[in-house]
Amino acid sequence: MSLSLPRENVPPRRRRSFENSGLTPYLYLLPFMLLFLVFVVYPVGYGFFVSLHRWDLLAETRPFVGLEYYRNLFDFSTPQAQFFWNSMLNTGFFTVVSVPLLVAVSLGLALLLYRPIFGRSFFRAVFFLPGILTVSVMGILWRWMFDNQIGLVNAVRTDLLGMQPLPFLSTEGLAWVPIVVGTLWWTIGFNMTLYLAALGNISQSLYEAAEIDGATAWPKFRFITWPLLGPVTLFVFVTTVLASFQLFGQTLVITNGGPNRTTQSAIQYITEEAFTNNQFASASAMSFMFGLAMLIFTVLQFRIMARDAREGT
Amino acid sequence: MAAPARDLPAVATTRGAPPRRGPRDVPRFLLLCLLALVFLAPMYWMITTSIKPETDVISTPTQWFPARPTLENYREVLTSPDGNILRWMWNSFFVATVYTVLHVALCALTAYPLARMRFPGRDAIFWFILGSLMIPGVITLIPSYLMMIRFDWINSFHSLIWPGLAGAFGVFLLRQFFMGLPRELEEAARLDGANSLQVLWHVILPLSIPSLVTLAVFAFMGSWNNFIWPTFVITDLDKLTLPVGVNTFSQRYVTEYGKLMASTAIASVPVLIAYLLAQRYLIAGLSTTGMKE
Repeated sequence: MSLSLPRENVPPRRRRSFENSGLTPYLYLLPFMLLFLVFVVYPVGYGFFVSLHRWDLLAETRPFVGLEYYRNLFDFSTPQAQFFWNSMLNTGFFTVVSVPLLVAVSLGLALLLYRPIFGRSFFRAVFFLPGILTVSVMGILWRWMFDNQIGLVNAVRTDLLGMQPLPFLSTEGLAWVPIVVGTLWWTIGFNMTLYLAALGNISQSLYEAAEIDGATAWPKFRFITWPLLGPVTLFVFVTTVLASFQLFGQTLVITNGGPNRTTQSAIQYITEEAFTNNQFASASAMSFMFGLAMLIFTVLQFRIMARDAREGT
Repeated sequence: MAAPARDLPAVATTRGAPPRRGPRDVPRFLLLCLLALVFLAPMYWMITTSIKPETDVISTPTQWFPARPTLENYREVLTSPDGNILRWMWNSFFVATVYTVLHVALCALTAYPLARMRFPGRDAIFWFILGSLMIPGVITLIPSYLMMIRFDWINSFHSLIWPGLAGAFGVFLLRQFFMGLPRELEEAARLDGANSLQVLWHVILPLSIPSLVTLAVFAFMGSWNNFIWPTFVITDLDKLTLPVGVNTFSQRYVTEYGKLMASTAIASVPVLIAYLLAQRYLIAGLSTTGMKE
């Protein structure tokens, strides 16, 4: 393996003159770049173009209207603007409520599980298992669990606890419970696995040193475990926030956005505007607003996290 | 997080091992059992509901155990004229397999020159591709749909395969891995007269199997679980993928939970089998770590 010649010195030019024409790398890139330009880059520009025109699939002409559809989003006398911002707030609400739970509970489970205990593999499998189901299966399952009359949750409430059944799915506010609980159940195993891997990498000697100094559980967690989990927490946090923004399947299947649009997600409303109302231009304008909000939030998040990381060290 | 705090306090530990088995672990074990019960409850409710006759599903008081177990719901779901669940499963499998093979091949072809060749514009192209990760998916949803109409790809698997194929994440993953491979092997092959394609096929790819498999698993799972996009581009019952198909059942059998649970149970079987097959390796991996004392 002592053949570490610089590439220029390799005896070249056997038959394949093409190899040396300088075109080779571009030829490798060609298929990807074609697909990338057609299906990734072009749609972004095309979507913006659509949002600037009155876009009726059946009409002959599609007149240019400029930023009219963007302005309409701030005209709160229209139902579109109301429904759109309502759906944005719903998505924001879901993110604010679910992300801290998704991070904290998965960390809690990981802390319960990372030291050996009887049946540990079994428990890990049980907590991980729901994550392999597709979102529609998970949604149907939790709609049934929280069914207004005869779901398991209400069965426990009435038959075991002697309470009145609660119509979770058709009560404003309460309808979020099955959505958040279902999402927790569905996604927590993945975050837990990431935390377990990170916990396994923390050197045991740190805890021993702390124990010699008389540290109890909380200081050990606060000053050893938590700081060393920083990078994983950042990763879990960012990916979970981005996934929460994408909220669509859970609310579609569990509540279909109801009652009264109180659980309708941004993506669900945008798709309703496009595919049900055939308002493609308006829906495109909404997706750009939504995309912009996501982008700003992501950048801010990274800024704050980066600052915290600097100050933390 | 109150629970681990209770059994963490250090009582005269023997050096080295994180010990604390025995009685101190009982509360932790019981808590885990309780949590496992909560986590498994939906699965239990799914399976028991699926084998109850519809009248028993809605009976009060609640039937905790199926009194008259039957496979009728499964028979009806599998032979439903409203859509064939096995067909949807096959569609999902077919689309995910084709997508995965093409995606991994495409990403490998693209990552190879970006990682191991020098040419003008290389870094610009790489950052251009990587920058697309910043574009939220929702922005391309509607324009892509309008493109599918123009391509006449509505209700065609083409719309499920091509648009998502050029993904930046796969290129990034493989490029990072390819860059870490030793140059010497490649140069030895070059000396033997191999062209760049032969180097890729005989040297780079065999050494990259772990990262290729990782990417393949991500790609397959992503395609298999995709829900938003197929919901809109596929409307023919025969061409639906599994997640979307199961959801059409949910809209059709709004109150027939026995059938719904049978269909979700059937839809869970392939992923469950895949998980159980992979879990043997998972458990082997897990049991060697952390069990050292």
